[in-house]
Amino acid sequence: MKLLEIKHLNKSFGKKEILKDVNLSLTGGKIIGLLGKNGAGKTTLIKIINDLLTPTSGEVLVKGKKVGIESKKVISYLPERTYLNKQMKVSEVIEYFKDFYDDFDADKAKKLLNDLDLDINEHLTKMSKGMQEKVQLVLVMSRAADLYILDEPLGGVDPATRDYILDTILSNFNEGASVIISTHLISDIERILDEVVFIDNGKIILHSDSDELRKKENASIDDIFRRMFKC
Amino acid sequence: MLTKLLKYDLKYMIKNMSVFYILTIFFAITTRLLSLPEQSIILIILYKISVGCLIAMIANIVINVAMRSWVRFRDSLYKDESYLTHTLPVSKNDLYNSKFIQAIIFLLIGFVVIILGLFIAFYTKDTWNVIKAFMETITSGVNMTIAFFLSMAIIVIFLELFNAIQCGFLGIILGHKRNNNKVANSVVFGFIVYLVSQTIILGLVFVYGLFDPTVMELFKTGTINVDVNAFKVLAIVSSLLYLFIIIIMNVICKIALNKGVNVE
Repeated sequence: MKLLEIKHLNKSFGKKEILKDVNLSLTGGKIIGLLGKNGAGKTTLIKIINDLLTPTSGEVLVKGKKVGIESKKVISYLPERTYLNKQMKVSEVIEYFKDFYDDFDADKAKKLLNDLDLDINEHLTKMSKGMQEKVQLVLVMSRAADLYILDEPLGGVDPATRDYILDTILSNFNEGASVIISTHLISDIERILDEVVFIDNGKIILHSDSDELRKKENASIDDIFRRMFKC
Repeated sequence: MLTKLLKYDLKYMIKNMSVFYILTIFFAITTRLLSLPEQSIILIILYKISVGCLIAMIANIVINVAMRSWVRFRDSLYKDESYLTHTLPVSKNDLYNSKFIQAIIFLLIGFVVIILGLFIAFYTKDTWNVIKAFMETITSGVNMTIAFFLSMAIIVIFLELFNAIQCGFLGIILGHKRNNNKVANSVVFGFIVYLVSQTIILGLVFVYGLFDPTVMELFKTGTINVDVNAFKVLAIVSSLLYLFIIIIMNVICKIALNKGVNVE
């Protein structure tokens, strides 16, 4: 069974078409780069998979089931913005995740936070945006999900932190699970990608195995991307 | 899952509302302490200030329950926090029910704190006798006991306020279905929904009046010089109609929410 299947997906806001007849099929155990320029439709696609946007038409199936309670049980999603209730302490957020997600490992989260020198008794309001994002990443990666969807996890962070984030992702995702990483910072993640999906102007223009693509084009993914999306 | 959602919604409201409850009781106590029989001019001024603050806090409780419920609803379902709310493995019905129950609970707590505050600030045997005599004058005129009159008054006010809160919820849901000006649209839709709900209730009372001449008198004369039984019937009928409207609107809100959201 496919982990994620997207069939003839369209999304419009008024007269503006954001996604146009998107078809995509992903299997388990892969790290997939969802790559595209700003405004290409990456976040819209991710938001539809996570039930944050309603498609205009088409279908999204996660392990054969439509987006809903069952799909949310197996998807661990890191959005591009901070989504935690700022009135909470980190320890309360851990409790929150523990309450709602059966696959959440609180001990793992506490260990990862400890490694980052983050105090679990601290209020989120007292933390910088970067620290809050790290807390979110830890929470998302402490779930034993089947599909991790990370929207711009490297956006706005320094190169050293990028490496830390990638290491955290690589060393913590559930065995047999897939990870979708949406980004336009391709050179930073190229080394970890098994598959790439290029999206432009609301359409999937390429879906390929990373190694095969590199061999075929005799260039890095970053170079291929630059060539394809040259302004 | 509903109980878990409710736990966090209640925690949020307690954090934000408890300060108003504490202040209400505080000003009730100061009002009581300052209401001594023989006072200096300074104590009289302080008493007046304390009474003013108490009244402001009472108004604050009612306004804040509504405002906080709406803000919590919007933040949790349509702002940044919604990225977590909508990705929780819970149904949209549970998300709505949690907000619905939370608003009922805090409206009830608000009523209790207001009554308690008024009791602390102003209760004396003499005051109670004056109120009782006043109530007896009214209730004997409309053929009700004081207990029935007070119960019906509290129930109708509670249902009216809760209906207003839920109109706000539906306004927010409809406003956020638009692509632009979501906040302004939420306010406009909330106001329209409230007007429609009031019109429906009035219309249904009129329909009831077609079968009950005592109630129809209210529409025909436009005065309160009608059969005393009409008020009793009207209080019961309007409570039932409010309940009916609240249930219908609850269903509409859930249907609208289940059709999906478009989070910014």
